[in-house]
Amino acid sequence: MIRAFATGLRVHLVHLLRSPFDLVAILIWPVIFASIAYYLIGTEGSTRVLFVASLGAAMMMLWSQVIVGSGFSLDQQRNQGTLELLVAAPVPLVIVIAPVMIASAAFGIYGLLVTLAWGRFAFGIPIAIDHPVAFVVAAVAAIVSIGLLGLIAASLFVLSRAASYFGVALQYPVYLASGLMLPLALLPAWIDPLSWVLAPTWGYRALTHASGGGGAWRDIGMCVLLSAVYLVLALPCLAWFERVARDRGTLKLS
Amino acid sequence: MSAIEFDGVSRTFWARPGVFRRRSIEVRALTDVSFSVEPGELFGLLGPNGAGKTTSIKILTTLLLPTSGRARVLGFDPASEPQRVRPQIGYVFGGDRGLYDRLSARDNLSYFADVYRVPAREKQRRIDELLDVVGLRGRERERVETFSRGMKQRLHIARGLLHDPPVLFLDEPTIGLDPVGARELRETVAGLQSAGKTILLTTHYMYEADELCGRVAVITDGRIVAEGTPASLKRGIADRTVIEIEATGVEEPLVSRLREMEGVTSVVVEEQDETQLVLVQSSLGAQLVQPLIGALEGVTVRAVTAREPTLEDAYVALVGAA
Repeated sequence: MIRAFATGLRVHLVHLLRSPFDLVAILIWPVIFASIAYYLIGTEGSTRVLFVASLGAAMMMLWSQVIVGSGFSLDQQRNQGTLELLVAAPVPLVIVIAPVMIASAAFGIYGLLVTLAWGRFAFGIPIAIDHPVAFVVAAVAAIVSIGLLGLIAASLFVLSRAASYFGVALQYPVYLASGLMLPLALLPAWIDPLSWVLAPTWGYRALTHASGGGGAWRDIGMCVLLSAVYLVLALPCLAWFERVARDRGTLKLS
Repeated sequence: MSAIEFDGVSRTFWARPGVFRRRSIEVRALTDVSFSVEPGELFGLLGPNGAGKTTSIKILTTLLLPTSGRARVLGFDPASEPQRVRPQIGYVFGGDRGLYDRLSARDNLSYFADVYRVPAREKQRRIDELLDVVGLRGRERERVETFSRGMKQRLHIARGLLHDPPVLFLDEPTIGLDPVGARELRETVAGLQSAGKTILLTTHYMYEADELCGRVAVITDGRIVAEGTPASLKRGIADRTVIEIEATGVEEPLVSRLREMEGVTSVVVEEQDETQLVLVQSSLGAQLVQPLIGALEGVTVRAVTAREPTLEDAYVALVGAA
C-alpha cells in the first residue's frame, strides 16, 4: 500500500507538471496575491513584514490548490474514466485519493518559490530564512496537513462533480480564519478556536517562525497532530461517500 | 459454482430534471435480469445502446449497487464484499478513456500495477510481458496522448490483465477501432479465453459475438429476451430468409407499408454513405422478392439479394420483437 501511495504521488505530480495551463495558472495566482499584499502594506513596511506577507500569499495559493485544484483534478479523473478504475482497485480508496490531494498541495511548493522570487526581483524583498532545516520541514508538514484536510472534502468530490464548486466557496473563509489574509487579531474572537483546527494556520505560522524568530517546531507538531486527526476523520467519510456514490452511480460522468 | 451469477437483478435510477418543483423520474435500467457464466467461458451480453449492458458490468465490478436481486463473482457479492471481488477481476472498457494521457504507457501500467497489488518483484516482468502481448513494446515510453485509439485500447487490455485476474469484464472493447485493430483485439480476447480466463463481453457487433462467444444473452430495455449459443439463436429464425435491398429514397411511410405485407416478419433500414440498405426478414423465402420490388414504387433500387439469416438477423428479430 505504501508503494501504491508513493507511485500515486509521483504520477499525479508528474501529471500536474505536464499541464502547461496549470503551470501558468499557478504562476499568476500567487504573484497577484503577493503583489496586492505588498501594495497594501506599502513601502513603509519592513522587509520582514513584506516577506511574511509573501508567505501568507503562498499559503493561500497552497490551500486553493488543494481545495479547488484537487476537486477539479478528481473531476478530470471522473471525465477521463480513471476514477472508476481507482475505486475498483483492491487497495483502500484513501490510498488512491490521498496522493491526488497531497500532489496538489506539493504543487504549491512551486507557487511558494514563485512568490519568494517575485518578491525578491519585483519588490527587492530579500529571501531571509534563519532556520533553513525547520523551514523545509515546515513546508513538508504544511503540504501534508493541508493535503489531508482536503482529503475530508475529497469524499464529497468522489460523490459528485458539482462538489468542486463547494471547494471554490471554501477558499476565502479559510484564508480569513487561518490569518492568511488579515491578522487574526483584527477578526472577532470567536474565529480563534476555528483557526486552531485549520492546518493552514499552523503551516503559515511554522513557515513564518522558521524564517525568523524560531519556535517553528511547536507549529510543525500541530501540523502533524492535525494530519492524524484529519486522516482519522477522512477514512469513514471516504468509505461512506464511496458507498453513496456506488448507490447513486455518480463515479462516472454520464 | 458459476464464476459469475446474476440472479433477479434490478437497478433503478432516479433523475430529477428541472429547477423548480423538481420531481423524481424513475428510470429502470435493469429489470429482474438473470444469467450465469461458467468458469473459463466467454459469455456475450448483446444489446443496443442503453439496453443495460454497462449497468450489469458496473454492478459486477463493484462500481454500482443493485436495487434488488443478487450478484456473485467467484462466490463473492460485489455489493457487500467489494474488497473480496476486486482482486479477482479485470475491467476493460472501450473508447480512449481510462488512462492518464500525459503519462507514458509504462508509467500508466506501473501505477495501475501498484494499485492492483502486483508484487514489486514481479511488476517489471509483468509489464514487459503484457507490452509484448498487446504489441506495444518499443512505444512504452511515449505519452499516451500521442497514441492512436487502437493503441490506447490495447493498453487498456494490458492494464486490465496486470494482476492476472481470473475473471475479465470487457465492455465494448472494440468500439471505434478500425477493422484491423478490432480483429487483432478479437484475437487477443480469444487467446485470453484459451488461457482459461472467464470473460463477460458486451458488444453490439454481432459478428464479434458470433466469432468469440460460446453463449450469449440478448438484453433490451433492461430485460433479457433470449439466451443460448449463437447457433441456437440463429436456429430460432432458421425458417426465415433475409432479403437485402440496396436503394435510395426509402421513407418511413413506405417502411410501414412493407411491414404490413404478408410474410414479412421485420423490416430494418440501415443508412449507408450514399444509399440505404433495407433488410426484410420473411418466412416466405425468395418468393417475396417480386412483391417487394413491386411495393418499392418511386424508390431507386440498385440491388436485391436473398440470403440465410445471421446472428445479427436473429438479434434484430429479438430486439425488434421486444
